[in-house]
Amino acid sequence: MSEIIRRDPRREWIARNRLHPDNAAVLAALGVNRGGGAVSEWMGPNGVVRKDPRAIGFIGPNGVKRIDRSGLQQGGQATATTTAARDSRRTVTIDQPAFLVAVVPDLTGGRLSGHDKDLLGLARRVADADAEQPGAVVAILFGEYKGEGGGELKEQTLGEAGIDRVVHLDDEFYAGFAPEARLAALSAVEREMTPRFWLFPDSPLGGADLGRRLALRLGERAATGVWQVEADNEASLGWRCTARGAAGSLDIQRPLPRVALALAECAEPVDETRHAAEHLTLAASIPTTLSRIEDLGQVAVDPAGVALAEAEFILSGGNGVKQWDAFHHAAKVLGATEGASRVAVDDGFMARDRQVGATGTWVTARVYMAVGISGAIQHLQGIQRCDKVVAINLDPGCDIIKRADLAVIGDSTQILAALVAMVEQQRGGQRDAA
Amino acid sequence: MLETLLPILIFTALALAVIGAVRRIRLWRQGRPSRVNLFKGLVALPRRYLVDLHHVVGRDKMISNTHVATAGGFVAAAVLMILVHGLGIANPLLGGLLLLASASMFVGSLFVARRRLNPPARLSKGPWMRLPKSLMAFSISVFLITLPTVGLLPEGLLEGGSSWLLALVLAGVVAWGLGEMFFGMTWGGPMKHAFAGALHLAFHRRAERFSTKKGGAGRSTGLKALNLEDEAAPLGVEKPADFTWNQLLGFDACVQCGRCEAVCPAFAAGQPLNPKKLIQDMVVGMAGGSDAAYAGSPHPSQGLGGKPVGEHAGSPHGPIVALEGKALVDADTLWSCTTCRACVEECPMMIEHVDAIVDMRRYLTLERGKTPNKGAEVLDNLIATDNPGGFDPGSRLNWAADLNLPLMADLKQVDVLLWLGDGAFDMRNQRTLRALVKVLRAAEVDFAVLGTEERDSGDVARRLGDEATFQSLAKRNIATLAQYRFLQIVTCDPHSFHVLGNEYGELGGHYVVRHHSTFIAELYDAGRLTFAPWKGGSVTYHDPCYLGRYNGEYEAPRNVLKALGIEVKEMERSGYRSRCCGGGGGAPITDIPGKQRIPDMRMNDVKESGAELVAVGCPQCTAMLEGVVDASAEVRDIAELVADALVERSADDVTGASRRTTASTTAEEVIV
Amino acid sequence: MQPDLHQKQQQGIDVAVLVSIGRHPTTGRARRAEQDARGLELALAIEAELPGTRISMLHAGSQDDSSEAALRGYLGMGLESMTLLEQPEGSDAILPLVEHLAATSPQLVITGARAERGEGSGLLPYALAEHLGWPLVNSLASVEKVENGVVTLLQALPRGQRRRLKVRLPAIISVDEAAPVARQSAFGPARRATFAITTTTSEADSELAQWHLSPARKRPKRLKIVKAASARDRFKAAASKSEGKGGQVLTDVSPEQGAEAIYKLLKEEDVLR
Ligand SMILES: Cc1cc2nc3c(=O)[nH]c(=O)nc-3n(C[C@H](O)[C@H](O)[C@H](O)COP(=O)(O)OP(=O)(O)OC[C@H]3O[C@@H](n4cnc5c(N)ncnc54)[C@H](O)[C@@H]3O)c2cc1C
Ligand code: SF4
Ligand code: SF4
Repeated sequence: MSEIIRRDPRREWIARNRLHPDNAAVLAALGVNRGGGAVSEWMGPNGVVRKDPRAIGFIGPNGVKRIDRSGLQQGGQATATTTAARDSRRTVTIDQPAFLVAVVPDLTGGRLSGHDKDLLGLARRVADADAEQPGAVVAILFGEYKGEGGGELKEQTLGEAGIDRVVHLDDEFYAGFAPEARLAALSAVEREMTPRFWLFPDSPLGGADLGRRLALRLGERAATGVWQVEADNEASLGWRCTARGAAGSLDIQRPLPRVALALAECAEPVDETRHAAEHLTLAASIPTTLSRIEDLGQVAVDPAGVALAEAEFILSGGNGVKQWDAFHHAAKVLGATEGASRVAVDDGFMARDRQVGATGTWVTARVYMAVGISGAIQHLQGIQRCDKVVAINLDPGCDIIKRADLAVIGDSTQILAALVAMVEQQRGGQRDAA
Repeated sequence: MLETLLPILIFTALALAVIGAVRRIRLWRQGRPSRVNLFKGLVALPRRYLVDLHHVVGRDKMISNTHVATAGGFVAAAVLMILVHGLGIANPLLGGLLLLASASMFVGSLFVARRRLNPPARLSKGPWMRLPKSLMAFSISVFLITLPTVGLLPEGLLEGGSSWLLALVLAGVVAWGLGEMFFGMTWGGPMKHAFAGALHLAFHRRAERFSTKKGGAGRSTGLKALNLEDEAAPLGVEKPADFTWNQLLGFDACVQCGRCEAVCPAFAAGQPLNPKKLIQDMVVGMAGGSDAAYAGSPHPSQGLGGKPVGEHAGSPHGPIVALEGKALVDADTLWSCTTCRACVEECPMMIEHVDAIVDMRRYLTLERGKTPNKGAEVLDNLIATDNPGGFDPGSRLNWAADLNLPLMADLKQVDVLLWLGDGAFDMRNQRTLRALVKVLRAAEVDFAVLGTEERDSGDVARRLGDEATFQSLAKRNIATLAQYRFLQIVTCDPHSFHVLGNEYGELGGHYVVRHHSTFIAELYDAGRLTFAPWKGGSVTYHDPCYLGRYNGEYEAPRNVLKALGIEVKEMERSGYRSRCCGGGGGAPITDIPGKQRIPDMRMNDVKESGAELVAVGCPQCTAMLEGVVDASAEVRDIAELVADALVERSADDVTGASRRTTASTTAEEVIV
Repeated sequence: MQPDLHQKQQQGIDVAVLVSIGRHPTTGRARRAEQDARGLELALAIEAELPGTRISMLHAGSQDDSSEAALRGYLGMGLESMTLLEQPEGSDAILPLVEHLAATSPQLVITGARAERGEGSGLLPYALAEHLGWPLVNSLASVEKVENGVVTLLQALPRGQRRRLKVRLPAIISVDEAAPVARQSAFGPARRATFAITTTTSEADSELAQWHLSPARKRPKRLKIVKAASARDRFKAAASKSEGKGGQVLTDVSPEQGAEAIYKLLKEEDVLR
């Protein structure tokens, strides 16, 4: 092993930016460079040694913190694979495509969402089915593309998601809710390129809307809620699909039409190849439409006060919350919607419309964080449909622990305070780096 | 002078009273028709008064005696007074009796006065405060004017020129007494209760609730069905005139004694319901006007201490609950009731509060679609899935996958049909059900369950006012039950027990239904169960409303506990005075806020009894009491306690020696 | 606010609400469809805000007992009658609806986003918009005001956020779970309400008839594919997987360590903004 410390400012910058997607990979790489030690310290840009306390040790499967001196600790190890995968990606360029598969990703927040990547994976399957006559995947991007990372990395992400060609339309009249303008643009793409397939993510407020509009404009009977696509020689376009119907209670098998709206996990995202993501511009200008829908912009809604049924992230307090001011502060810092157990409501700490449970609201949050809530059956009923439950409680034997995906045993006030400190610190760090 | 004055006074008062009575009767007759046998009712009146009413009043000996003296004295005095002073039959015998009657009344009124010295909060004030004085005025004046009749005072004493003043004063007092007692009786004074009360007893809507000489049970607790076939028939009660005439009459009988208020769990929890006030609201509505004159405790209200009087008003044909704003009562008053029947049980005037409340709820649910909070969701679930939780009806028996429960569909005919109830979907209650199955198996009972063919009994739907959903569930259950043969239904859910036993009959389903505690007690008596001695701590027992007050079963659960070797530490409020757990009548679903929770109060009762465990016999009670945080006692169903104590029967027992010493009943007989 | 109020007095609009026969997700029983009922709720809210508003409710489909019961579910929300465009089972509903709407020309058409029976593709509102040439807004949360032929709406965005839109009437709006919950359906009004039945020209949906329909299969859970360089890596990745049955319980950790584990989960779930 070489003892020379090689400096790479970009990597160091990434290493400092913990929220950078490549942060862990870079840390791992640095760690390996520096002789296999744990990636808990590295040289800062001006030669100061920096420590990452978070990187010391990891939480084992049974909740015990472990410190692995072998140098293959979890964080590093997981990303080592990414690094390996990245390096092993095959570059593919399709110059003379036999046909086009158009994909209109949601580009939520300016980035490809997981759903978008699955859809691109599906597009690739369809495009690459015949190795002799490969098709090309053309992505139509609306609005600002922030990408992941910056510069070259940002463009690379598009290619790595499986995109051969990019039509990027980021004029301001496509911003916000502009279905009419977007539809006009897609119609223009249709005229110029006539893709064999149009694929949209079937996501409310994204592809679900635009895809249906396009289908009707093209006079196609779109397949919606598609979750499976298989080759089928009988079908007119060579594929058949399985689509959810009747509010998810039915599977409809039908030939894959020209326009399809697919669900998340309809295919595996691309992970072995890197595509050109070559930018195209439309030859003809897109006719401007007279819009009958005017977007007046987003209305400020305080996350704490969002209706519980709609909330995605709920911080819920019960009888075990001892400092309500700190609780409200934590909700604010985390950007979480506030919920409560009935006891907290009865005791007057929370409003009645915040009650979660049998006699309160049934919530569907992605993350439900129960602080000082014992998990009475009437409470658990209300969180049946939550994805991930996090519990903070003093009592390891109470029922919420059984339901929780992650339970931290300890005093609610201290743990919330630590969490708030951590989030604030991370936010601060991010701002510095940006 | 008095001799001329008295008849005039008496007959004027009587005439006015008759006019008042006619007017009052017209008020009642605004109500909808109700078929009662008027003659039979009048004939039964004395018995209903002397036996049934005094059974309730007699719970407080003091008041009961007071009432006998005062009321008895008054009735006798009034009749004699008309004879003696009205018609001038100056018979010394009659006079003597009159003296006696008025003296008795006077003594009674002294006790009434004493009670009014420092009246408890539940008593209404206002005109009721002057009642003892009026009673005294009447009795003293009658006594005095009768003295000359029997010759204890010279006839002419009040005649002389000098004594005209005295005579005038006396006449004034007589007028006061007559005014209160005769005029006031039919014109809305406190004595109205006597007039309306007597007729209410005679024309009561539930003649079945009174005992009969032949030893009739004297219990009638099932709600009466709405006619849904006739599209023109009204759905519940929107305005006072939508009550039946004898319900209106019943409201008018209220003496504002506040006994209902004192026992009402919702009132105690600070929820906006005072049953006494509610009945008075109905009286106000029937007559038209505002509640400003009401002088008792108001409906509680969070923050305000009580809803101020004078803000609510109504009329016989105006809505009781306003669409917006205020009318006669607020909807949350009606939705606070747990239908625990504590008020009905206590009411000396035999008023049926629960019927009235459910009638008004029916209108709100069926016509307005305004069942509060989770009500609408629960009703939708009942419609779509036949259970209030919206669970897959096909999973009703999932909890018992390992128990191999015999199904009615396979057996067709058994001794005991085990009705599981919706507790089958609840993890806590599944433990009780498992215990019960274990007990039945230990006693080798021939039983089976309906399994996925069972549906919610309709209890909650009915009490939330959704008679349509109730009847739909009930009819389908009755059709299912009709396919099978069984001797009796056993259930651990008193709500199903009540509905199946007391409410399905009107829709054509007649069954012998037993609560599991009753059945277990019978099995034990028949020697089919043997228990290990109790080793746990002290135990108290909570009477579920739907088992106790609704069905009169207070003994069997206690007998079972006794058989287990448990000596029950009774709570202060137990038996027919048991305090509700807060779980009935859909109250946990409508969840009207108060200042505290009913189950918390009940667990406090448990705590005060010093017991470490509270035995219950109802899934709803279990859920409510277990939902109390920081409780001092454990909550267990009787079935669980029994199952834990089961021991293999010894050979002797198996030969079938019954524990009953008097009549050795065989197991088969018990089952039948 | 005064002029606003004034206009409210005189400006009612014609609202058409399209409803379908719903299907309870666990029992499959016919009922009022969740989203359509929310659509009607929205219409009733407009009516309450804008006196003089007329709501007409439409359903295209066959007439039988179970669908009638389901339709009465909507009527029980407080309508006296509805129009049934009668057509045989399995016909395409779009044509008769377009014809009816074109003929009656309401200013606002409200539909649910997706039906609970049949194809349930959610294409219907778009088809109407395309055929009628009217603007369409989806995922509506509430209607703020209607003024001079322009409606101001709030559209629901994820996480309970809202976007304000102005749309020229006539327009079509579709609602999903973000719209206010439908009021209770009351038995009495539902029983009394009447149907105006119109027979329509209808075309069988021949395409649908050719598709293969079956009860939804459970979708396979996506496996976390570990592409690792060495066997050792693969093993470690598998061993350190925290998912699976039961959650992770951290006992005897410092508040900081606990907070860190939570932070990691929040990041993974991407709920921190
Ligand atoms: C009909 C009915 C309906 C009901 N409906 C609902 C409902 O809709 N919603 C609802 O929530 N409840 C409902 N309940 C009440 C329910 O049964 C419980 O009573 C309630 O949920 C308990 O609230 P809790 O968990 O906050 O309080 P507790 O049960 O008292 O739990 C407090 C928890 O906090 C922990 N704790 C204490 N101190 C600390 C600390 N410093 N740090 C961390 N942890 C600490 C304790 O270990 C305990 O686990 C209902 C009950 C009934 C009977
Ligand atoms: S039934 Fe019970 S809760 Fe209802 S009014 Fe009577 S005492 Fe109160
Ligand atoms: S309703 Fe009955 S118990 Fe209540 S105050 Fe009137 S008479 Fe007394």
